[in-house]
Amino acid sequence: MSTFIQILLRSLESGSVYALAALGIIIIYRTSNITNFSQGVVGMFNTYVVTYLFMKTGAPLWLCILGGVVSAILVGLTIDFLVIRHTKKVAPVAKQIITLGLIMVVMGIAPILFGVDPLNLPRLINDGNLTLLEANISYNGLFNIVFGLVLMFVLFYVLQNTKVGLAVRTTASNEYTARLMGVPTKTVTLGAWAVAGVLGVLSGVMIAPTTSVTLNLMDVVQINALIACVLGGFQTFYGPIIGAYLIGVSRNLLIYYVSSVWGGQILYILILIFLIFRPYGLIGKKTVKKV
Amino acid sequence: MKKVNLKTPSFNLKTLSKNPYLQFILFGLVLSTLPILASQFSFIKSAYITTIGVTLIYAIAALGLNLLLGWSGLISLGTAGFMGLASYISAYLTVDMGLPFEVAILAAILVPTFIGVLVGLVSLKIEGLYLAIATLAVSEILRKTFEEFEAFTGAFSGKAASFPVLFNSIQLDRATMYYFIVFVLIIIMLITYNLVNGQMGRALNAMRGSEAAAQAMGVNLLKYRLVAFALATIFASVSGVLYVHFIRYSYPSSWTLKLSLDFLAMIVIGGVRSIYGTVLGAFIVFAVPDLFLKQIPYFSQLSYTLNGILIILVIMFYPNGIVMIFRDIKNVFLKLFKKGNGNHVS
Repeated sequence: MSTFIQILLRSLESGSVYALAALGIIIIYRTSNITNFSQGVVGMFNTYVVTYLFMKTGAPLWLCILGGVVSAILVGLTIDFLVIRHTKKVAPVAKQIITLGLIMVVMGIAPILFGVDPLNLPRLINDGNLTLLEANISYNGLFNIVFGLVLMFVLFYVLQNTKVGLAVRTTASNEYTARLMGVPTKTVTLGAWAVAGVLGVLSGVMIAPTTSVTLNLMDVVQINALIACVLGGFQTFYGPIIGAYLIGVSRNLLIYYVSSVWGGQILYILILIFLIFRPYGLIGKKTVKKV
Repeated sequence: MKKVNLKTPSFNLKTLSKNPYLQFILFGLVLSTLPILASQFSFIKSAYITTIGVTLIYAIAALGLNLLLGWSGLISLGTAGFMGLASYISAYLTVDMGLPFEVAILAAILVPTFIGVLVGLVSLKIEGLYLAIATLAVSEILRKTFEEFEAFTGAFSGKAASFPVLFNSIQLDRATMYYFIVFVLIIIMLITYNLVNGQMGRALNAMRGSEAAAQAMGVNLLKYRLVAFALATIFASVSGVLYVHFIRYSYPSSWTLKLSLDFLAMIVIGGVRSIYGTVLGAFIVFAVPDLFLKQIPYFSQLSYTLNGILIILVIMFYPNGIVMIFRDIKNVFLKLFKKGNGNHVS
């Protein structure tokens, strides 16, 4: 029982990392109609910024993370301002490939700025363990879980209950009509890229202490977040988050109880089979096609 | 077309040079001269032959993806996975089992194609974005398998293979293997040309435009989707087999999402639904950074970035792909020429 809870807590930690990344992807998908393959890489870049600040200035980590958040906002704004804003007439498939171009740009710039050596980023809360029903979890892990949930709660509150959220939701449901109704859709999209950047850097900072900060830091996160979006469905904001936690939990359970080697693959195969029966994900609805 | 023919005095050579099959063969001959040029001129190093060979191999897989993405409108992010699977199967069969190259290539095509057809079946249910990420999941499953299934793939230390022996008698080396790659590429280009200009091309075009309308016109969706996926996987497998016997090594880290995305980039930059465009795209994405940009001192590190910027610029300002540049330049010249002619007469 204690191992089960232990696995569950660990999974919630990795699940919240996936969930933050997936939320970034879905926010951009809903407002710009782009599947953002560069979410992970942009997060990686800003995690590098955090690590670099931490190593060079010796400032406390939380201050460096704030610096990373600022740089994430700037990067997000730049991407939208320079590129995405001008792609209204581009075909949907080509739009996705633009984010692939962004991956290449960031991957090329990052080693020039930060060098090629792997860097290390410590945990935000360095030591201390909480014992919960005989299961251990570090304070840092607990903080990640709670922080992820709180952040998502705040975002959903903003989305559902404020004027800004209403603007985002109208843009998401139909951009053209939203613009007719006086919603500043350009600003909404701009903001979406900034928020996605922040979510990216936060997921990066959460995952970085478990490995080292390299160019491939976010590869696994990116792929799992994309699959979480498919599992949860692209039509709602909360579907991908449910998908992300589901992937986090079931992945670790499969790895522990079924096979440490094949657990990950089995999970993907199960998701594929699930998709055949529910092609639009857990929450998704079938969009009616008109001929 | 007819008007042009009436105006310009047509002679035999010109109509002959318009023949697409001859053009493909000519293109192949031009490609085959590269190693000879390399031995003659110092500015083409012989190491470049490896780079160009790999570029042509990638072009084969990209042609398959173009059939899917360009002509059928189905997105796949699984190309790298299938290519890797074929490379491991071929390496395993020729090295560990000692089977002849022809048997290995057949097996290396059949197994991935079977999986590709399964994905094609799934594609009837899943659409667009969901399909793209489903194929990404397939590719990830394959890549993880390459990492874990050590007896078959050698895991992280990679799997070695040798230059192939054709028909049990002709041992290829690096130079002849390059000619073999050019030969296969030209064959694949011819096949693609015939397919997309025949009944299948029309069916795929109709499917891309509107599935419902295509079905109403009697296009069998299941059949053509399966065929499209099967062909894309066959091309990817062929390119995987050539890769492992040309580079003579296969690592799990070669078959990542990045490579699949590179294939997408080749098609988009070169030109969607263009055969020459796909090859051109492969050169721009893979060979140009390796061969030229690395020579310029400051650009060596930025080559990847420049490539990314190029992708973005092409999509934003030149959505039909760089292959159209030749036509556009030609049109500009024709216009200038016509104007000059007109002035002359008046």
